[in-house]
Amino acid sequence: MTELLITIISTGFFATVIRTTTPLLLATLGGLIADLSGALNVALEGMMLIGCLTAVIVSVYAPWYVAVLSGVGAGALLGLLMAFFAYRLKADIILVGFAINILAAGGTVFALALATGGDKGTSINLQSQAIPPVDLTFLSGIPIIGPTLSAMLTGQSVVTWIAAFLVFAIWYFLYRTPWGLWLRGVGEYPAAPEAAGIPVTKVRTWSLVVSGALAGLGGAQLAMFNYVGFTRDMTGGRGFIALGAVLLGARHPVGATIAALLFGAFDAFAIVLPGLYNWMPSELIRMIPFIVTIVALISFSVRAQRALALRGVQ
Amino acid sequence: MALLEAIGIGKTYPGGVVANDGVNLTIERGEVHAVVGENGAGKSTLMKILFGIEQPNAGRLVLDGKDVRFARPREAIDSGIGMVFQHFSLVPSFSVYENVVMGSEPRSGIRFDRKKAIAEVQALSDKFKLHVDPLPPVGALPVGQQQRVEILKALYRDARILILDEPTAVLAPQEVQELFVAIRSLVAQGHTVIFIAHKLPEVLEISDTITVMRQGRTVGQVRSKDVTEDSLAAMMVGREVVLRVDRKPTDQSQRVAEVRGLRVVNARGTEVVQGIDLTVHAGETVGLVGVEGNGQAETLEAIAGLRAITAGTIALSGEPITGMSVLDRRSRGLASIPEDRIARGLAPGATVAENLVATRLDEPRFVRSGLLDLKAIRLSAEKLIERFSIRVGGPNYEVATLSGGNMQKVVVARELSEQPKLLLVNQPTRGVDLGATQFIWRTITDARDEGAAVLLSSADLHELLALSDRLMVFYHGEIVAAFTNTPDLTPETLGTYMLGLARQTPEDMKGALK
Repeated sequence: MTELLITIISTGFFATVIRTTTPLLLATLGGLIADLSGALNVALEGMMLIGCLTAVIVSVYAPWYVAVLSGVGAGALLGLLMAFFAYRLKADIILVGFAINILAAGGTVFALALATGGDKGTSINLQSQAIPPVDLTFLSGIPIIGPTLSAMLTGQSVVTWIAAFLVFAIWYFLYRTPWGLWLRGVGEYPAAPEAAGIPVTKVRTWSLVVSGALAGLGGAQLAMFNYVGFTRDMTGGRGFIALGAVLLGARHPVGATIAALLFGAFDAFAIVLPGLYNWMPSELIRMIPFIVTIVALISFSVRAQRALALRGVQ
Repeated sequence: MALLEAIGIGKTYPGGVVANDGVNLTIERGEVHAVVGENGAGKSTLMKILFGIEQPNAGRLVLDGKDVRFARPREAIDSGIGMVFQHFSLVPSFSVYENVVMGSEPRSGIRFDRKKAIAEVQALSDKFKLHVDPLPPVGALPVGQQQRVEILKALYRDARILILDEPTAVLAPQEVQELFVAIRSLVAQGHTVIFIAHKLPEVLEISDTITVMRQGRTVGQVRSKDVTEDSLAAMMVGREVVLRVDRKPTDQSQRVAEVRGLRVVNARGTEVVQGIDLTVHAGETVGLVGVEGNGQAETLEAIAGLRAITAGTIALSGEPITGMSVLDRRSRGLASIPEDRIARGLAPGATVAENLVATRLDEPRFVRSGLLDLKAIRLSAEKLIERFSIRVGGPNYEVATLSGGNMQKVVVARELSEQPKLLLVNQPTRGVDLGATQFIWRTITDARDEGAAVLLSSADLHELLALSDRLMVFYHGEIVAAFTNTPDLTPETLGTYMLGLARQTPEDMKGALK
């Protein structure tokens, strides 16, 4: 047990948490934007997965930043596709979302096989690149906390820092700009912005495009930093966990970030555990983030109900 | 020169419904112009055309002497036309000022300038005597204030012409007076108001000019001072109608429904019914009065078994039914005409016959050895269509194709095809034309005359006063006043209690509680 505690309190573990949280955080922010615009984006998983593969394949032929951008673009295009089916052709958005997930699960394997010349499991024989880490060793010059800070923050992906900035940018957008007001109004009661002459469908479409782009960026980080290369179904349910994180974070960017960190921590936990207790079946360990998601959502729901009951009694 | 003219407007919806057929409307600058007509007369369609929501198939609009065409509301707004719908377009969790400025926010750089927005909304509300605090969320405000927010929204976008679609339908009499003060202040400052309504006394009070519509056509335009309520009503329906029903003297000694200490908590955790005591006798109609959302609907739903209660008892003919299922309650003689006929009263996609038989599937004459007897169902439906004069092509037409009045008749026919012991009625004639209203009033009163106990809730005070023997006024989930219905009981008296401006002492109420 003590080994476990020592591992968890170490700076290395914190660095791992930041790394595992980044893709999840980006997907969560994507889910948040869609959710606030009134659409439950169940396709985050598929968008992320396609983002992973696109980034990996492009990175074979182009610089890393082009690869990341193409992952973002792939996600955005899927968001646009979703908006087209849901808002123009009036299909049910949940069904469209699942269609995208199914397309992603099968399509990535197919595309992978084409790109690798027959390998349906991994992109191991592709020379894909990684996102470069950011060197912050100069932080160790700061007295007392410097070395710890440096150990935790050095070596994180560029995308991690972009994600951190995006939390602030999205918060500012949602609560400090007119367009954020539009987006939240569209999500809560579309008739009101409609009557005020706000182009509701356009707002919704853009929200899904941005949602997809964020999921795609998360995918790029996952396949070009957390792991280098593509593996089938490598997102492993992160897109669905992100939906849970949106709710758990009370539909607010800061709350969503905290929720994503919580899930990221358990993800990291699942990474370090096998090294400590090799008798534990790895399947069991990999279940931890999902069990935590379910437990967290149940307790969130129970607490929300209790809060309502409290207000009812007064 | 007229400010706004609609000339020869025609509008046919896909599906062939002719909503407007050669409609003419002339609005002068600085007047209050009422457009009246029965439901389905085409008023709303005409207004939607003026506001750019619908495009006319024929005719033209002339604003300030120039031909105009609005492809979308934004273009109408930019030309200085504002519209306040019957259903408000407000985001509940947004503050008053956010709702007012949304879509035309003051900005500094890319930032939404909240300080400026608050100041502008405050200034506007002072200027037009539309008093409302800019800061609280709109969802927390009473309906009358939400309406002011809607009007401010239009004024904020520099509306010179303000279209109000049935603005008084949701207001208590005192709130109507406040609205009229605001309308007069608007007109005094050079604005023009178009007022859609069907309550004629209000129309005569506030408007300068009245355009009457009937069946998609304009019947005429008159000066308010030249007409009376009766002559207007005759113009609207094309014949003289008297909206009045006579109640037979009945034996009201037998208690049918007894509600004691009823408490109901809604989904948001607010206690919406706070200890109601209510008794209804055979052969008696009890009216539940109150601004919507004060617990009347929840009380009826609790009695019908559609809503869980947190405390209290409900008895039907002396037998407690508190824990019973809806089906058990109905089998004991309870019938219910719900508030929202499309969502709760009917299956709109099913046929008239299917809707009429839906509550009697346990009867052997309609279901034999587990199979529907389609012939019996059709014959019974044909009889009911005849008896309740439902205008429909036949029993196999989908309910969704019927007009509002005829849909409501299907609900009434189903609930009253057999004499109930206790009849619960909520908003029986909302969105129903005068002819059907008269019929529905008569049918409900017939059920009462035959000995049913009737509990009626309505937003229309005239309806309550026309049908009820006794009236209970609801305010914040409590009964604050009780009256025996007499000819000298006025809507204004009820209004005082509805708004919580006064409440009777238990002694005062005793006489009318029985």
